[in-house]
Amino acid sequence: MNNKTTITIAFLAIMAFLPLLADSAWLSIGITFLVFAVVAFSQDIILGRAGVFNMGHAIFFGIGAYTTAILNVHFGLEIIYTIPFAIIFSAIIAVLLAGPIIHLKGDYFLVATIGFNIIFEQVLSNDIFGLTGGPNGIFGIDVIRIFGYELFSDTAIYYIAFGLLIITLFIIRNLDNSKYGRALYYINKDEIAAKSMGINVPYYKLFAFALGASIAGVAGSVFAIQYSAVSPESFNFMQSVMFFAIVLVGGSASLPGVIIGTFVMFVLPELFTEFKESRYLIFGAAMVLTMILRPNGVWPVTFGNIPKFLRPKKGAK
Amino acid sequence: MKIKNIASALALSSVMLSSVAVADTVKIGVQAPITGKYANEGQSIDNFVRLIVDEKNAQGGLLGKQIEVVTCDDEAKAQKAAVCAKKLVNAGVFAVIGSYTSGATEAAQSTYFRNKVLQTSDGTSDSLIKRKYWTFFRNSFPNAAQSDFTAEYMVNVKKYKKIVVLSDYSSYSAGLGDATEASVKAINGNILFRGKIKSGVQNFTSTLTKIKAMKPDVIYYSGYYTDGGLLRAQQIQLQIDADFVGGDSNDNPDFYKLAGKSAAGTVLINFPTPEILPYPEAKKYLSAYKKRFNMSPPSIWPVTNADGLRAIIEGVEKTKSFDTKKIASYIRTMKDFPGITGPFNVREDGERVGAKFVVYKMKNDGTKEVVK
Amino acid sequence: METFIQQLINGLTVGSLYALVALGYTMVYGVMKLINFAHGDLVAFSAYVGLTIFTQFYGSNALTLVNIVIVFSLTSIVVAFMGVLLERLAYRPLRTAPRLSAVVSALGASLVIQNGIMLIWGPNMEIFPSDIFPSTTWNFGGVLISYTQFVILALSAFLMVSLYLFINKTKIGTAIRATAIDQDAAKLMGINVNRIVMIIFIVGSMLGAIGGLFIGVYYRGLTFDMGWMYGLNAFIAAIIGGIGSIPGAMLGGLLLGLFNAMISGYISTEWAETFTFILLIIILIVRPAGLLGHNVAEKV
Repeated sequence: MNNKTTITIAFLAIMAFLPLLADSAWLSIGITFLVFAVVAFSQDIILGRAGVFNMGHAIFFGIGAYTTAILNVHFGLEIIYTIPFAIIFSAIIAVLLAGPIIHLKGDYFLVATIGFNIIFEQVLSNDIFGLTGGPNGIFGIDVIRIFGYELFSDTAIYYIAFGLLIITLFIIRNLDNSKYGRALYYINKDEIAAKSMGINVPYYKLFAFALGASIAGVAGSVFAIQYSAVSPESFNFMQSVMFFAIVLVGGSASLPGVIIGTFVMFVLPELFTEFKESRYLIFGAAMVLTMILRPNGVWPVTFGNIPKFLRPKKGAK
Repeated sequence: MKIKNIASALALSSVMLSSVAVADTVKIGVQAPITGKYANEGQSIDNFVRLIVDEKNAQGGLLGKQIEVVTCDDEAKAQKAAVCAKKLVNAGVFAVIGSYTSGATEAAQSTYFRNKVLQTSDGTSDSLIKRKYWTFFRNSFPNAAQSDFTAEYMVNVKKYKKIVVLSDYSSYSAGLGDATEASVKAINGNILFRGKIKSGVQNFTSTLTKIKAMKPDVIYYSGYYTDGGLLRAQQIQLQIDADFVGGDSNDNPDFYKLAGKSAAGTVLINFPTPEILPYPEAKKYLSAYKKRFNMSPPSIWPVTNADGLRAIIEGVEKTKSFDTKKIASYIRTMKDFPGITGPFNVREDGERVGAKFVVYKMKNDGTKEVVK
Repeated sequence: METFIQQLINGLTVGSLYALVALGYTMVYGVMKLINFAHGDLVAFSAYVGLTIFTQFYGSNALTLVNIVIVFSLTSIVVAFMGVLLERLAYRPLRTAPRLSAVVSALGASLVIQNGIMLIWGPNMEIFPSDIFPSTTWNFGGVLISYTQFVILALSAFLMVSLYLFINKTKIGTAIRATAIDQDAAKLMGINVNRIVMIIFIVGSMLGAIGGLFIGVYYRGLTFDMGWMYGLNAFIAAIIGGIGSIPGAMLGGLLLGLFNAMISGYISTEWAETFTFILLIIILIVRPAGLLGHNVAEKV
């Protein structure tokens, strides 16, 4: 058993027993954490593993959430049956959006995905085909029913989100050990070398995109169920920035890194509501500092080129 | 299965009831935009609630229990509102005041309903009472009442022949705009153009230039003051020779600041604003508010919310219980409860009835006079 | 016809604001290959600083031309200083770091400035006095140009021409262009790259500051997060024109302003932003280097 597995198992064990100790307020923070961790891992597949500068990840999170909301509220479909649609729609839209621009270089790709995100936001707030409910979104989403049981308690939703996280980690583990995972690794390390070795770069990038998007889509469904409401501002450009930052601040392609990133970005502000006003300021400063001190993220621990004004003075030890 | 559900609901409610009975405080929630665009309205709602709660606590509390206020900032956003609803329910409140915008109110409604928590809001969207939740009652008046009054004023009083109706895309504003369009058409008025602007973009000259070519008599705007003030300023700058009539949410001091000199001549249709309320309760509470917070409420909305809270307190005291179901049905049977904003009557579906409106005209110096 | 020309004038006014802001993005990208996400927030910051100086020192009345010039210069200096500080603290330590690190740092800096504004001036809307410029409006056969619009158009044109001359006719300008083409080679030629970067940030921030002040004077309502919206539009303008290209940013800004005005005037206000971003994505797919930029082959 190596170090990574130990950390993973310890983490999962803690999360599995949390509902036994936590009250309802903590439980809903726990759900938020799990859902956003899944989204962060899915973004990590695209950004950390495939090295595609995706700054529109909130789109796929949102498509999942809105698919569940629309199918349930407008078409009366049971929540549980909306989830396959959430997966498929997110994947299809990911391929349709990323397909034409997959050849673009880093910054240009990033800008294009920002564009997509803003169009997505506008589509949602303009109440397209009378389905998305405009700026107010959709409310009154039903509870999950499985075999006649209504799962509306926070504990039930917590374990749904927890199960989703385990599945996601399982998928990532399998991905890393597969032909696809290796191809993505090479592409990320040196795209031109990978191309010259005969790896079909756009194909693998799109694959990573679709995979990441569909996982984010399921997370979106759970998010919609948790709040029984969805609205455009949860899937705006700012949210994408957060998902982008989580992976890079935590450390790309690193499990503890992504967990730390999610915790810092989404859980700390829930815990310290008194800092609510200044929390983004502190985040922003933390993002800058992390990048300066550890350009490759918090985890694994490697220091970058520390600037003079942050270096300890000689002899100060 | 059904029996199990009922049993668990019973168990849950008995736990809730017993916890209320044991604790020597009761909690009332405020869900309002404390930060963001409508922060001054949200903060004022919170202030007014605290004013009334402190008064009650000083008199010995509610049925002998001190009231604790729990505030949740929904930033006037629907998703945040849904989060707030969960938080307030988790905090154990028995009633919630808010929110300011209809959208944020509606997003939270079902959560309060499911958890049997009372909610009262100033939101004016007709859709707020569509679901007939027994937990909800409105403390202001619906768009439909305002639109009929507005149409009557524009078509029959001012005899406008060419009317332009603008709104933004929010449920409140678009709803009021649509309702006004329908009311005008119902009394055979002529709607020249029904357009929407995007709240917050600041530049409305494209839409206004388009409107200018239509030579309207009046531009009616049913959105919020943050856009209305700029709309008016840009209308004057483009020399569009038409009257400007604003819906209730334009009535905010910032409208005059944004419009500057252009504000002169603007007509606003609103519920009577706090300072001209003739009721004895109004004088008492508004001067207390002014004394404590060193300013007046920015609009009528914090005041109607205060009335909502006072109605709930009245309900608790008259039914001598914290059973929300009893309080809700009591509030629906109250006759002319003396509110700060006038007699308070709530219909079976949670609608407040007996709307009164006032027409104001802005003067050059930013003050306004009552026209009608 | 009047309506069309009026839309054109409106579009050009907004377009020149975009152009002023876009120049800041494009100059930084040209030299550092970095998207300075914090630039839009610097623009918002300058509007707030300008408002504070206006109200603190002069009240909202009695604004003489001299006073206005003083306010504009003071604001530009404060914002230029902020720009240099931003580069020193958030970007310089990352000059050799992976590309994405610099992007995250820029986003972080943007959050810091945006929320700094909120903490200093509060979350509520702040409002510019409406009488900074006279409310005169000229009427040319039904087409209206207000005093403020005229000042914006004229001053923006003047600044852009000056910048063009500065970049193309002066020694520092030549050094800037050299650094943009190849930093290492420029260093070998004895150009102090750090100094060039500093100059870029000073000039870019000053232009952004003027843009921000104009936004305040023209639109009046300031919100702490307005930087995103104007920044994003200006950034799109820079890309449409060809990021890294100075004439490109000017052209891109004006074109985007016109495009917006025409779309919202004749097609749809509802989807105006969507059209803008579709235009952006089409340009990225068809001609990623923008209208006036040139494609650079990838070095292996």
